[in-house]
Amino acid sequence: MRQYETAFLITPKLEEEETEKLIEKMAEVVKKKKGKMVNIEKWGKRRLAYPIEKLDEAVYVFFHYEGDPDIPHELQRRFRQTETVLRYLTLKKDAQIQPRKKTKTSRKEKTKRAEERVMKAAETEKKREEPPEKPPETPPEVKEPELEKLATEKE
Amino acid sequence: MMAREHRERSSYRKYFPPKRKYCRFCERNIKDIDYKNVEILKRYVPERGKIAPRRVTGTCSFHQRKLSTAIKRARLLALLPYIED
Repeated sequence: MRQYETAFLITPKLEEEETEKLIEKMAEVVKKKKGKMVNIEKWGKRRLAYPIEKLDEAVYVFFHYEGDPDIPHELQRRFRQTETVLRYLTLKKDAQIQPRKKTKTSRKEKTKRAEERVMKAAETEKKREEPPEKPPETPPEVKEPELEKLATEKE
Repeated sequence: MMAREHRERSSYRKYFPPKRKYCRFCERNIKDIDYKNVEILKRYVPERGKIAPRRVTGTCSFHQRKLSTAIKRARLLALLPYIED
């Protein structure tokens, strides 16, 4: 069982009775397929943001229902066949994604962290610079006596 | 010339004055943006019907994504215009 929401637009050319009939027909599809109609929203005639098939108005109807996936499939097939339906849109309502929660860090903390990072970076750089300098210094001290030794041996 | 250019560039600014920006959906703890809620969506498609960028509105990336899909759905059902001139 899934939750669906189907919206469709009907031409304003139809009489009110006829539109009601059409809506009932579509609602029956949901019933026949053992779906559960939760809510039918009717907005009535409404101005379109742009003309569709040279019409400026349309009747807005929204179905909210639960059921198997063959219900929206059947509805869409019917919509395509009936020319008085201008547009339709079906949405799955479930499958909500939770927004990632932000860990709130105040500005002071952020600056603190940034400072710490800079300090650490500086320290590591110092360490890098220091070690290469030291080793060359010590070996010569050891070598010098050796050289002297060699010198004395030669004599 | 200069003045006009400046005005054109900051056209979005008319609708979103340069205060401290924040996500208006996060503020109200909204998880889903409904495509039927035209009044809210309209605020994010000023003048030409283009979707206002995040850098202008201050909407977070999560809600900007939701917002853009909602606007596109609303356009399909002619609740919002694709173009407006």
